[in-house]
Amino acid sequence: MSALLEVSGLRTSFKLEGGGEFAAVDGISFSVAAGRTLGIVGESGCGKSVTSLSIMGLLPKGQGRISAGSVRFEGQDLATLTADEMRALRGNRMAMIFQEPMTSLNPAFTIGDQLIEGIRCHRDIGPQAARAHAIEMLRRVRIPSPEQRIDEYPHKLSGGMRQRVMIAMALSCEPQLLIADEPTTALDVTIQAQVLDLMRTLREETGAAIVLITHDLGVIAELADDVVVMYSGKIVERAPVEKLFANPQHPYTIGLLGSIPKLHLEQGRLNAIEGQVPTPMTQVPGCRFAPRCPFAVAQCRQDVPPLRDLGDGHEAACWRAPLQTIKEPGA
Amino acid sequence: MTALLKVENLVKHFPVRKHIFGRQTAVVHAVDGLNFELRAGETMALVGESGCGKSTVGRLVLRLLDATAGKVWFDGEDLMQLSPERLRARRRELQMIFQDPYSSLNPRMTVEQTLVEPLGLHGLAIGRRRERAAELLELVGLAPQYLQRYPHEFSGGQRQRIGIARALAVEPRLIVCDEAVSALDVSIQAQVVNLLQDLQRRLGLAYVFIAHDLAVVKHIASHVAVMYLGQIVEYADKRSLFAAPRHPYTQALLSAIPIPEPGLRRVRVLLQGDVPNPIEPPSGCRFRTRCPHARDRCAEEVPALRSVEGHSVACHFWETIQAPPSVSSEVAVNERLMRLQAAFHPA
Repeated sequence: MSALLEVSGLRTSFKLEGGGEFAAVDGISFSVAAGRTLGIVGESGCGKSVTSLSIMGLLPKGQGRISAGSVRFEGQDLATLTADEMRALRGNRMAMIFQEPMTSLNPAFTIGDQLIEGIRCHRDIGPQAARAHAIEMLRRVRIPSPEQRIDEYPHKLSGGMRQRVMIAMALSCEPQLLIADEPTTALDVTIQAQVLDLMRTLREETGAAIVLITHDLGVIAELADDVVVMYSGKIVERAPVEKLFANPQHPYTIGLLGSIPKLHLEQGRLNAIEGQVPTPMTQVPGCRFAPRCPFAVAQCRQDVPPLRDLGDGHEAACWRAPLQTIKEPGA
Repeated sequence: MTALLKVENLVKHFPVRKHIFGRQTAVVHAVDGLNFELRAGETMALVGESGCGKSTVGRLVLRLLDATAGKVWFDGEDLMQLSPERLRARRRELQMIFQDPYSSLNPRMTVEQTLVEPLGLHGLAIGRRRERAAELLELVGLAPQYLQRYPHEFSGGQRQRIGIARALAVEPRLIVCDEAVSALDVSIQAQVVNLLQDLQRRLGLAYVFIAHDLAVVKHIASHVAVMYLGQIVEYADKRSLFAAPRHPYTQALLSAIPIPEPGLRRVRVLLQGDVPNPIEPPSGCRFRTRCPHARDRCAEEVPALRSVEGHSVACHFWETIQAPPSVSSEVAVNERLMRLQAAFHPA
């Protein structure tokens, strides 16, 4: 089966103020098949949001550009499309949900205006039919009394409601691919549970592929089929979701899982990862995680580890993987 | 042992005016009749979702806001009754750590100026302020050479450490941590949580820990108060609250947290709708509009916070509500992972 979305060797560079460029995303490859959910997880500055903007062609003009690699959607290289062709694709066959439901809706228009505008942009239908479709979409994302709500302004809605409107908007043209960038991060936990539940149901109904970008490993565990872990612009580990959590191989993934306070376990001290993520401008010889890694050896500080197959669809970019047998850290 | 901090019937109503000079048309019931105690060396967590009033409580405790009614006893003195001079002296013992490490430090002040300013205000460490600032940096795990740097030169986690050092400068006894680790990435959050716990052990600090992340709270708190629309709905020691939550809201809150264990099938209490407007809170029990167990009595009668074996709950029917099964029993401990994670502990 061919992939719906195929990202290969993607490198996204941004201009530096004093001239020159740095790569926020450096040579990443992944693919998503129809109906699957790929989770991209990582902390601030790992390049996960830049990845989503690169796919959607939404990099800030004149500052960021794809400097190497390609993004293929349904077999077509998106770099070859004109701006108009890209616009026809975006919001139609591929759509995006952003983190901030407060700022991604226009406060000066009703949610109906905004929904109908999106629908009529991509569908040749009249205002009445578009309105009926918008109401139907609001109903599908479980907004109570959608016939009234459609004429309300965004400020009248709570955060959870606005995120539902965003989801309705993204799904209104039945996209094959949905990119969700931290879709529940700004929401309270009981509302987050509602939105995750909704996303799960809609995924079954529509069969859309989802790229789920988040820092929250709990959300990944709930929704993703496959997971990519990013650190400082690179993919450090890729695995099916159960394997990643049960048998993580990259020290960063291991450390990240150890940093989370567990609701379901008794713990002593948290296993913090000492130090901090290098900025994309910082040159780190060898593995970019090596300065924080308790397992690092001399080779890690010299050579960049490639993403290697460890069997069963599990890959890690670590010279010391598989980390099964290590007893003495830092040996 | 007596309590360091005792809050009695604390109430804060914010007036709502249609126009800036208009008459008051309504009140926001931000905090409505709160009671709790905190002893030295302990951590009391206030948890709840946006708008439940937890941050307002933090501000009332430090008297950064004046309460509408109620008392805040700190070490035997009612802070609400203190004269401005006396309050200023007392404030030395009460400090705050803020959520956003980007906006809570003055960008035009060096780290040294930031740390020395509170010493000057309270006349502390006269003649050895630079040494004291260096000590403080070391206490929060930063090198003293950073003293001459400005906030923009630091990462979020480092700024939060500077914010903690500033709070510690005046040797406080109580620190209100208002979402102090919420804005940080998890690996950095773990560093700061560990730091807060180490400092508490060394200095005997009491924390009022305001947070929405229950996993962090479970890790750091000794007691937990769950708030909903300005009131405490459940209050207990941590172990009891997480093992056997009694209030339907607490149960829903706990079951809603995504757990990083794929394939874990949980009984989830999915709440309907949103938190009601605090200008017109529902009659009776404020949670009843979203409660899956609500009955007629809940609309008519306000449930009192009743304590049974030191575990308080404000629900008429908690004895008859079956708590969803706790997940802890179903998750197997991953020996390999624990062993590898132990390598991250500094020796």
